[in-house]
Amino acid sequence: MTLGVDNRAASSRAVAWIRRVQVASVVTWGLLAAVVLVNAMVQPTFFTLYSITSTFATFVPLVFAAVAQAIVVIGGGLDLSIGTIVALSSVVALKVMNGSDALIGVGFLAALATGAACGLVNGLLTAVVRLQPLIVTFATASVFGGITLVVLPSPGGAVPPAMTQGFRLAFAGIPVPVWCVLVAVLIWLVLSRTKFLRHVYAVGGDAQAAYASLVPVVAVRILTFVTAGALAGLAAMGVLANTGSGDPFIGADVALDSIAAVVLGGIALRGGRGGAIGAIAGAIILALVTNVLFFLNVPTTFRELASGLVIIAALALSVLTTRKGVVR
Amino acid sequence: MPLLSMTGVHKRYGGVRALDGASLSLEAGEVHGLLGPNGSGKSTLNKVLAGTVSPDAATIELDGQPITIGKPRDAAARGIAAVYQQLSLVDSLTVGRNLTLGVEPTRAGFVDNRASAAEIDEVLERLRPGLGPGVTATTEVSSLTPGQQQLVEIAKAVLRRPRILILDEATASLHRDQVQLLFEIIRELTAAGTCVVFVSHRLEEVMTICDRATILRTGRTVATLTIAETSESELVRTMVGDVAQAERRAELARTDDMVLRVRGLTAPGVSDVDLDVHRGEILGLGGLQGQGQSELLLALFGATPIRAGEIELNGRRVANTSVVKATGNGFALVPGDRGSQGLFMQRAIQENLSIVSLRRRLLAALGISMRRERGVAADAVQRLSIKIGGLDDPVTSLSGGNAQKVVIAKWLLNEPAVVLLDDPTKGVDISAKAEIYAIVRELADSGVAVILNSSDDVELAELCDRVIVLYEGRIRTQLVGDEITSDRLVAAALLIGEGDQGTVDETVAAAPDGSDR
Repeated sequence: MTLGVDNRAASSRAVAWIRRVQVASVVTWGLLAAVVLVNAMVQPTFFTLYSITSTFATFVPLVFAAVAQAIVVIGGGLDLSIGTIVALSSVVALKVMNGSDALIGVGFLAALATGAACGLVNGLLTAVVRLQPLIVTFATASVFGGITLVVLPSPGGAVPPAMTQGFRLAFAGIPVPVWCVLVAVLIWLVLSRTKFLRHVYAVGGDAQAAYASLVPVVAVRILTFVTAGALAGLAAMGVLANTGSGDPFIGADVALDSIAAVVLGGIALRGGRGGAIGAIAGAIILALVTNVLFFLNVPTTFRELASGLVIIAALALSVLTTRKGVVR
Repeated sequence: MPLLSMTGVHKRYGGVRALDGASLSLEAGEVHGLLGPNGSGKSTLNKVLAGTVSPDAATIELDGQPITIGKPRDAAARGIAAVYQQLSLVDSLTVGRNLTLGVEPTRAGFVDNRASAAEIDEVLERLRPGLGPGVTATTEVSSLTPGQQQLVEIAKAVLRRPRILILDEATASLHRDQVQLLFEIIRELTAAGTCVVFVSHRLEEVMTICDRATILRTGRTVATLTIAETSESELVRTMVGDVAQAERRAELARTDDMVLRVRGLTAPGVSDVDLDVHRGEILGLGGLQGQGQSELLLALFGATPIRAGEIELNGRRVANTSVVKATGNGFALVPGDRGSQGLFMQRAIQENLSIVSLRRRLLAALGISMRRERGVAADAVQRLSIKIGGLDDPVTSLSGGNAQKVVIAKWLLNEPAVVLLDDPTKGVDISAKAEIYAIVRELADSGVAVILNSSDDVELAELCDRVIVLYEGRIRTQLVGDEITSDRLVAAALLIGEGDQGTVDETVAAAPDGSDR
């Protein structure tokens, strides 16, 4: 009798533990390991410092965008405007810095402020005017993209040399782009200990219950988009450091890629569950898939198609394995 | 001086007065029951106190000082916490995170987990006998049973150390042992000076735990009684008051022609229900609101899955496994919420009237003859004397009563054998009410079997040939003909016997012959 109760207690504890770890994260890490393995096979130089630096350098922007998207999705929203926020922030920072190394700090502030301001617009429209996040950010994506074109009508402009060169250096034996990814992880770990992020989870899980529990739902929703916008601003600096010049069309794929990264990372699109570490892993998976296709000599014509198919397969795998847990 | 007093509380919802000058006076350290029949305003009064409903007018004094409560935050700041049936727990979060949600202890914006961990563990340990062994602070709420969730909800309110704790039907989903545990906790709280406001449909619980009780009737406070000095029958008398005897519909020569026969029906919210409805009979569903009446109608209509039992229509067994099948079998449901379930509010009256019965009038199974549709719709409008501008006007242009008549009319065009009405006169003004009554009577006279769920006891008394009273999803009592009076309906709903000391079992046994049992 006692034994039975103990068993049940133990098994329900085990169930709780599995829920916390989340089945999806097992899939996420499995996929990451697989894609790294495949990449190493098709690209023998994969683990050299040079290769790691340039690979990481390409996906730093997507990593920050994925953290931004993760926060919005956990809060029960969706942000289709992340890509053009990245573009707008990058061109604003580009103009502010004007190629001068001395103004890099100001450039960072300009990118953060631009991103946060865009996020504030999204936040006010969804939380105060109460429009659907999907519709709001679909529209603001065009607005921000339009403003970007006004600021910088065609690709060009010079990024401060210290930024582009510094991005290729190594610090304490670790390439700077890898440090950037670690910073993204750190930002998430710090955020996840704040009251604000607790409330984001609560609002995403059940906004009405959160309201009844005295969570300031409207403020949390606004701040969610503002935080995401600021992170998109950081992604913009990554873009500039990587490409070395400005491009008003840079963000075209970022929004959808960040959503794919979030789903790959095991974050439920219904909100309230998951964490941005998974989304970072998801972003890395997406970037490496492109890398693998390149080294497999897949013709450029088919690369887009192939990467789409791989993403669909990965998404299906992670969603199908979580669904069981939801239905119970 | 009382801890808190509320006087002159008024609240209207459209044309309905939910509270009409209600008052409530609470003392520190007491358990105060709030009692009243359906629609008496106890929930609204609670919500005003908790800040989730803002009153049209109210004077609230705490410790003799006037205060205003406009939103939940105001109430919380004054030390008022509420536990409702609709839980305020976030399913996807752990028990621990839910317990501190909104009041997380922080240092410089960061959540201080250690500060709350001890408190959380202590309260979970206190609830251990009710929660069972597996539940810890890291258990996700979605994996708990409704009873466990309710206990966590209570723990969450208790953790906020309220001066006034409102428990609104907090025992509904609890087992007997869990209720005992809650009562122990309530006694500890009141011993420490907390005031607990207690609402429960189980009168037995009110008699056990409450020191005093305030009784509401039609939005007014009629009395505050000391429970120890009051008998159950006195309580019922105070709740019902001196209601003018409803004018009953002329006794129908009861036919033995059985239209609907239900045996052992079990579905979500309904257990083992037997029904017999004869041709031309109006069967009422009574009891306190939310005891399975709407759920029973939904199950009969095939909208929720039937787990066990059988339904016979005119002696033929039917399987209402979906709404479409039920409609085809001659069932019609006039739902409780017109706006979301009964009508396409933005569409024309014409379309709303045609939609259910369109199949019957199709030309070659495809074409719609507009002239015919308009003719049929115009007939229905005239027959039920629905006041409309034109058939092409949207339903939003109609008053509540006329909109409800459109719902009834659209089903009548399908010529149903059984009509299920779910609180059809809720939020409807008096004159439209009378017209709807006339329609229901006419329906019955034309040979349709009618089942009417109503939260209004007077309505049941006025319309029904028979009323079955439901309690927690089961039939508890049946009242026939002249037995259907307001006070007997209330007594039956609260499981009080014919005499003073009647128990549940005696009440059932005393049900007259010809009952379903």
